[in-house]
Amino acid sequence: MKLGLTSQLIILLATIGVVSSGATGYYAYRANRTMLVNEAQQSLLTSTRLLDQRFSSALHDVAEDALVLAVMPSARKISESVEHAPPDGRERLEQVFMSFMQYHSDYLQLRLISRAHYGLERVRVDRGPNGVIAVPEAGLQEKGHFAYVFDTLAVPAGHIYLSPIVINHEAGTHAASGRPIVRVGTPIVGTNGANVGVLVIDVDLTRVFARLARDLPQRDQVYMANQWGDFLIHPDPALAFGFDRGQRVLMQETFPVTKPLFDESGAQMTISGYEHRRDGRIYAFARTPFGAVEGNRFVVLGLARPLTAVLVPADALGGRITRMVIVFSVFALVLAILFARALTKPLHTLASAALRVFDHPPDARLPTERSDEIGILARCFDSMCREIRLQMSELHSKQRELAHLAGHDALTGLPNRMLFMEKLAAAIDTATRTGQRLAVIFIDLDRFKQINDQLGHWAGDRALTVVAERLASVLRASDMAARLGGDEFIVLIVDMQSAGVVEEIAMRIAEAMNEDLQLGDQRLKIGASVGISEFPADGLTAEELLLKADAAMYAAKSSRCGMHRRYQELASPGAVS
Amino acid sequence: MRISSNWLRIDLRGFIGRITSGRLPTRVLLRGIAAFVALVPISGISLGASDAVPQNLLRVLAWPGYADADVVKQFETRFHAKVQVTFVDSDETLWEQMHRGSPPAFDVLAANTAEIQRYTQHNLLAPLDVSKIPNTRLQLPMFRQRSTIGGIEHDGTVYAIPFTYSSMGLIYDRKQVSVEPRSMLELWNPQYRGRTLDFNSAQHNFSFAALALGYRDPFHLTPAQMRTVTHKLIELRRNLLTLYTLPEEATALFVEHHAAMMFGNYGTQQIELLRRAGVDVGYVIPDEGALAWLDCWAITRGARNRALALSWINYMLEPEVSGLLPQRQGLASTLGPASGHAADNGKHLFWIQPVEDIAQRESLWRRIVSGEPPERFPR
Repeated sequence: MKLGLTSQLIILLATIGVVSSGATGYYAYRANRTMLVNEAQQSLLTSTRLLDQRFSSALHDVAEDALVLAVMPSARKISESVEHAPPDGRERLEQVFMSFMQYHSDYLQLRLISRAHYGLERVRVDRGPNGVIAVPEAGLQEKGHFAYVFDTLAVPAGHIYLSPIVINHEAGTHAASGRPIVRVGTPIVGTNGANVGVLVIDVDLTRVFARLARDLPQRDQVYMANQWGDFLIHPDPALAFGFDRGQRVLMQETFPVTKPLFDESGAQMTISGYEHRRDGRIYAFARTPFGAVEGNRFVVLGLARPLTAVLVPADALGGRITRMVIVFSVFALVLAILFARALTKPLHTLASAALRVFDHPPDARLPTERSDEIGILARCFDSMCREIRLQMSELHSKQRELAHLAGHDALTGLPNRMLFMEKLAAAIDTATRTGQRLAVIFIDLDRFKQINDQLGHWAGDRALTVVAERLASVLRASDMAARLGGDEFIVLIVDMQSAGVVEEIAMRIAEAMNEDLQLGDQRLKIGASVGISEFPADGLTAEELLLKADAAMYAAKSSRCGMHRRYQELASPGAVS
Repeated sequence: MRISSNWLRIDLRGFIGRITSGRLPTRVLLRGIAAFVALVPISGISLGASDAVPQNLLRVLAWPGYADADVVKQFETRFHAKVQVTFVDSDETLWEQMHRGSPPAFDVLAANTAEIQRYTQHNLLAPLDVSKIPNTRLQLPMFRQRSTIGGIEHDGTVYAIPFTYSSMGLIYDRKQVSVEPRSMLELWNPQYRGRTLDFNSAQHNFSFAALALGYRDPFHLTPAQMRTVTHKLIELRRNLLTLYTLPEEATALFVEHHAAMMFGNYGTQQIELLRRAGVDVGYVIPDEGALAWLDCWAITRGARNRALALSWINYMLEPEVSGLLPQRQGLASTLGPASGHAADNGKHLFWIQPVEDIAQRESLWRRIVSGEPPERFPR
């Protein structure tokens, strides 16, 4: 199927409109998405750094507490005591420990451990299920074989030991049992300047993070891994401390992008990005040093946020853009239809005008008043039409003239024999159908030859002209006169109310012909012989009627009485006009 | 009550440190995809075990060095399977893991003959069709005579296939200990106080201490012997630097704290690791004799795909896989004669057996490790 220019234009323009609005909408949507994701990444990274700083400062606070307690004189005294600790000093310190424990809900254990007696605990306050418990001397244990004791004893005075973050498996530790903990320790300096004991605070990592992440949005998930990548904090608790259950769950496997953070060099300290999935996450990770005892220790902290949460505004905008694109597409389609029609309508007008060039009146709807190319085309077309119409009307008038000439006598202007015979035949037809009667009157001038010979052709022509005028004057409007040639005229009478009408007309003709004729300075009488034939009485055809009228005329001429004769009179013997 | 002195601030800054700010990597976010479609998902991320266990998943309970990542990968490729390895660091952990679910949530496990016997008695293992493990034909004759190896056959039914073995001798630093130790009692020597390491496990510690005390049957102690050994172990604890669970951990502690000697629970496997760490170590089977373990592969009663589990055991006995034991771990394989330190196994060895009362040993050991002083234990 071939499409018209209008359809083609509509399709083209509508397509351009739809595609351009669609593309604009799409790129706006993409740009918005990208912007939101970048913004979220940036904000997550900031939050991660903040969390990092808070974690560091939380540990810093614990360290300060440890240092404060370690420099108390009673702490040194108790650490140095050989056998049993002095009871009053011990009780006082226990009270101090208890108030610290009450003040810090994330402390699980607070202990003073002496170097002597195989690392015997001298003061120990635990968090129990129903509050803080001061462990009696009978319940104290030897802890010298634990790293947090011998490693803390090895650090210089005033320095801090941070244990690896582990699950506590020590027996008899009350609420601390089975909890993820980090131990903060500092040595207690004796009178001789050597480290005589340690002060150790067991901190509940979960509680610390619950506090640190309190004001983070609910949708943000917190992750932490140790220097090998083992998760220590994971939104799914079953995946944290996997190494403690024999199944390691590593951050660099869950989030492959974090691999560089665990590199030896540790050059890269932060990473952010997102998973290219619909249900993916945006994440930010930062590596931060942790403890100084074994050198290159660190933890990696991270935050993740579901992409869907970030992209909620983008999706809303996407919906609005889609609606906008639909509206604009419809708008573009309507505009395309209007424009295409506006462009092709003048063409249709011109086409229809071309079909009706010869209509009267000429088509006036051509957009000739327009000033554009269509206006020029319309004006050119209009002038071309006018030219054609002018030439055609000239042609028609010439045609009419020729047709007149063919059917009329040039001298008298009367119909000639040919035209008369046609009319007669037509009148016979009509009369036959209606049952009317009609008559033919044959007229032959009597003295035309003499005029022509004596006075010249101009006089003959003049005589013929006058005869024609007199004929016209005596005939009724319905009758018809014609010149058969030479000085012969003929008249057709159609409206015959009575037989007398023909007689009367014939008489009037004869009288008119007998009137004087002024030709130059001569007055003369021309005279005429008149014969009548009638339909249907005298004949049924034009030729027959003509012949019979002619015959009646001759009869009239030969009688020389200047009267008219009816053919019927010739036929009936003895009849005399 | 806060203090603010310069040394404190500087020091804390040292270990807590500051987070250096990094640059955001610029990522090309736009992809040539059709309008308004979802982001193209890239590599999926798995987060460990899921609740549904597919048919081709093999859950392996093993010791460090038995199922290295490359070995597992090759098995997965060859058998179109997914292998999930859970590592254990002591018989206690192994027992705990096996009792996490009923039937056990594992398909195959590696355990020593004593443990195998215990698991068989507790009806936790499935009988093995040895004909489905053709690689057993490659094993040395002594490992094919399964009825002569205590613990792996029960009423004529085979429950386990030997895989590797080692003695549990004494490892010492040749630089610090000039004379070769002749007894485990050296671990009690005050000269080495704070420089010895022991394995954190109830059964073997009681057994080797009993051997050191000269008891004939270290696996079946009388109540009196038990009390004596308990006090002996408290003495040991007081002389130790610390306790270890994993061979890598033991190596790190040995190196960092310049330990002089340690009880080699993983045996010859640990020597290899220490040598690689650059320590000049010696390995000795004490005069009183050493404990020795023979680890075997067995299929649990909870195995879903026994054919795959049998394939795993057969695969473990392939020369290329079993060959990795001496090559990488310093352990002996059951396919060829032992060499080097593993050859010491020929000496005076006590192949470990089920002990008189595991629960008692474990409860005592928990208290010992936690630091209970000797006064709180009966004499």
